[in-house]
Amino acid sequence: MKRRRVAITGLGMVSPYGGDLADFFARLLAAESAVRFLHTDDIPRPLNIPFVSCPNFDVDAVLGRPLAGTMDRFAQLGTAAALAAWADAGLARAPSAEDREQWGVSWGTALGGTLAYEKGYKELWIKGRERVSPLSVILGMNNAANAHISIQLGLGGVSMSHTVACASSAIAIGEAFRRVRNGEAPVMLTGGSDAPQAYGVARAWEALRVMAGGDATTSAQACRPFSAERRGLVLGEGGAALVLEDWEHALARGARIHGEMVGYGTTCDHSHLVRPDATGQIRALNMALADAGLLAEQIDYVNAHGTATAEGDPVEIAALKGVFGERAGRLPVSATKSMHGHQLGAAGAVEAIVTVLALREQAIPPTAHLGQPDPACFGVDHVSSARHHQPLRAALSNSFAFGGSNAVLAFRAVRS
Amino acid sequence: MLPTMNSLGLIREFLQNRLGVTPERAIPEAPLNTLGVDSLMMLELMFEFEDRFGITLTKDLKSPKTVGDMAELMDRLRSDQD
Repeated sequence: MKRRRVAITGLGMVSPYGGDLADFFARLLAAESAVRFLHTDDIPRPLNIPFVSCPNFDVDAVLGRPLAGTMDRFAQLGTAAALAAWADAGLARAPSAEDREQWGVSWGTALGGTLAYEKGYKELWIKGRERVSPLSVILGMNNAANAHISIQLGLGGVSMSHTVACASSAIAIGEAFRRVRNGEAPVMLTGGSDAPQAYGVARAWEALRVMAGGDATTSAQACRPFSAERRGLVLGEGGAALVLEDWEHALARGARIHGEMVGYGTTCDHSHLVRPDATGQIRALNMALADAGLLAEQIDYVNAHGTATAEGDPVEIAALKGVFGERAGRLPVSATKSMHGHQLGAAGAVEAIVTVLALREQAIPPTAHLGQPDPACFGVDHVSSARHHQPLRAALSNSFAFGGSNAVLAFRAVRS
Repeated sequence: MLPTMNSLGLIREFLQNRLGVTPERAIPEAPLNTLGVDSLMMLELMFEFEDRFGITLTKDLKSPKTVGDMAELMDRLRSDQD
């Protein structure tokens, strides 16, 4: 089977900063945190957590009220991101002359429509009602986002969702990449979305004791991956999407190409549900490099999974040292979750976009609020402040999930 | 709960909140499908009706065609279950 080159022709996101992608990347370079203190009105015990929201997302304006009303928040975020990526790719929303019957969607979500289900539980158990909204099933189903996207864009090929915890959208992107590279689909819309502010979900994460605390003053700096003072992860809502396209197809229609996707590796630690294992991550990193036909010394930046948990961060650094050897000390690594938080099923897509933008703009966003790195995380070149004018050739984006699933995406810069 | 609201008022309120249809367009003769009410939304409207007026609709109800048909059906059901 002839392998096709895969162009990235569209990028889209519902930014927690409220602006466009250029604004998003500029704020990351400026080490500006989107983390805020979230205080909810839940009775009797409100949530008081650092969180990343998208407060300026005007869903009615972007999707229209009739459509938005048939979606849970995760599908709203996802569809909005997809429409933005589609427009960025210069593609019309409705099919025109082209046949889109082979074009598809590969989407990631860890939680699906959790808010809809939670609303139903409240109706049944708190209000004592016998019934829930007739929309509960279509709002809650995990494939709602990809189904809406396929309908909105008239895509007749595969429409699938991937639920792989924190690696959901990285795996969704990898699987989309394979379909384009193998010639099965000339265009794939891919990415992920999640809205983990559901009360029960947030409480469940708290119970795992991996969440960073914070108040109105300290929340912005609550997420500190690789730092000696890290205190845990910060959840966030989000949606991010990429358009992957057969290179020749993109050239034929004169599309702008942001970058090239060149490799994908995915493995399972097969050892523990929540304790990561460097050997499984090493296999995923090596698989992505081999798939891309790249040598370790050709990688100029790694966007780390870097959640700021006590256990996860050192294992990821150990994996990078295992793959990059002595060169790891000169390998620029940053964890941008320090600013945009951990959007679970959207995280891999958000970070894939960050990695593509880093290559395109030749600039590396930092791990914000790093301070002194944890000695257990020594051994790589931690990027603690933005680096501009970097000669970046290729980069990796890591996503390592509970359940032991690992995904590594490889991208290459495109010279204009 | 707005106990004084009539069925037509509830339908108009739903159409405005859910679909952005102005009350002026939601005249009794207006076909529901031309206002954007599909089968799924009809279920939502029925649910809203049950919720707001505290009655239970039977499963074999035929879907009304117009705003007026819908209001008439709701008025009848309310009066039957009073």
